[in-house]
Amino acid sequence: MTALGEMLSPDFLLRDALLGSILIGLVCPLVGVYFVLRRMIFLGVALPQLSAAGVAFAFLSRSLLGAHRHGESAERLLAIVGSLGFAFVGLVVLAALERQGRETLEARIGVTYAFAAAASILFVAADPYGEAEMTHLLKGDIVTTTGTSLRLLAGVLGAVAVALVALRKELLLVSFDREMALVLGKRAGFWDAVLYLLIGVTISFGVMTAGPLVTFGFLVVPPLTARLMTRHMLTFSAVAAGLGAATAFVGFYLAYRLDLPLGPTDVGVAIVTLLIVAGLRALRARTS
Amino acid sequence: MTTASLHLSGVSLGYAGRTVLRDVSFVIERGEFVALIGPNGAGKTTLFRGMLGLISPFGGRIDYGFDRRASPPGYVPQKESLDPIFPLTAYEVVLMAAAARVPPLWPVGRRRRGLAAECLAAVGLAQSAEQPFWALSGGQKQRVLIARALAVEPEILLLDEPTAGVDLGAEAAIVDVIARLNRERELTVVLVSHHLRLVRQLVRSVIRVADGSATKGSSDDLLSAQRIAETFGAAADGGS
Repeated sequence: MTALGEMLSPDFLLRDALLGSILIGLVCPLVGVYFVLRRMIFLGVALPQLSAAGVAFAFLSRSLLGAHRHGESAERLLAIVGSLGFAFVGLVVLAALERQGRETLEARIGVTYAFAAAASILFVAADPYGEAEMTHLLKGDIVTTTGTSLRLLAGVLGAVAVALVALRKELLLVSFDREMALVLGKRAGFWDAVLYLLIGVTISFGVMTAGPLVTFGFLVVPPLTARLMTRHMLTFSAVAAGLGAATAFVGFYLAYRLDLPLGPTDVGVAIVTLLIVAGLRALRARTS
Repeated sequence: MTTASLHLSGVSLGYAGRTVLRDVSFVIERGEFVALIGPNGAGKTTLFRGMLGLISPFGGRIDYGFDRRASPPGYVPQKESLDPIFPLTAYEVVLMAAAARVPPLWPVGRRRRGLAAECLAAVGLAQSAEQPFWALSGGQKQRVLIARALAVEPEILLLDEPTAGVDLGAEAAIVDVIARLNRERELTVVLVSHHLRLVRQLVRSVIRVADGSATKGSSDDLLSAQRIAETFGAAADGGS
């Protein structure tokens, strides 16, 4: 049986991992569209790293407090708490600093990334227990996805996708023309908070399932590719999500077929797609 | 029943505790066409933002002669203030404002979609509805933004330098649209402009912003050569 045939078989051993990967590929770009439109792509690097630091911090706290509960559910819950907590604190602090506007946004995001990357390593180094499990979670070992974690992921990311579609007109207006939104009586701060909540949840679950690298890759690269191919908002989001899901499937196939690490393969496929689309666009612009 | 569209009484405006304009009082009547003029840095934008409700007055009152929730002001920003990264057609830009009147989670119905198309037609751009917004000329973009402002079904239209950076033909088209909306729909119009020639052609009332305050008067008075020289300094020739 070919690798593709095996992957499409209902008895495929890594079926949950494949579905989890496609789910992340589908939903992360829907959130990532707003990273691109609001020109906060670097936040897409810093937040997954911050989320990973949160996972490491949660495990370190457990070790230091001497509370060693075992079992997949307990560890996943701990990771969720740490990941969400750090992502939200980071978002709140960055949003508050943005209002004060003392430094440039790039500087703040750069400092956040440096802090998060250093903190992740230090928290791992300081944790005397469970380093192996935590390393899996930090790397986002998607291959270890189980039926339970897939159901949780599908529920959470499904809710995020539904919210993004249902609240599309509010989120778009506040992102495109904040002053117009305020004149029309919209509570721009509230809608920013809703968007940040959806971003935080997506990143946290993305990082726990697939790791910071893949989460960042899916947040940013498919929307950038879709931006080159579309001229409507609706098709922009739909194409970004479709590209993300297709990238996840092709990346999984290549990683399985060629025995490559899944995360970097996914990101590589996404970037090759971006380069091909950008090249074709440049070629068309030159010939027309 | 009052005929005032906008009433400012003893208003002070500014930013971060710094007062830019003090004790501003005037009334803009319904259906009036008013220009806001003044030198750079005098506080035109501050007053404009205060009238839109984007900044709260430090003191005094701003009263609207209409229900702001039912009929919010039609705001037309400068086209440069919007980011070209958004993939939007002209119709989508207008629809965004029409859709803003629909409560969250409710779909945008046929009436709102029809309204967006009507507003585009009202500014003479029905044929450009499916064009990418950013591919339009400067004058067309500005007319799309006027259509967007109309899509909220406003009682008052506030425009920030609508003819800035467009050629003479586009300027004429924009001015024609604004004047027609004021005349035919009896929309109250407040226009920020540096183009005194244009202001002279269009309006009978002027709000002059200078010396930390704002006063309203007739265009004949506030646009006289002497008053222009007082407002803009000796360099102004009154015809730019």
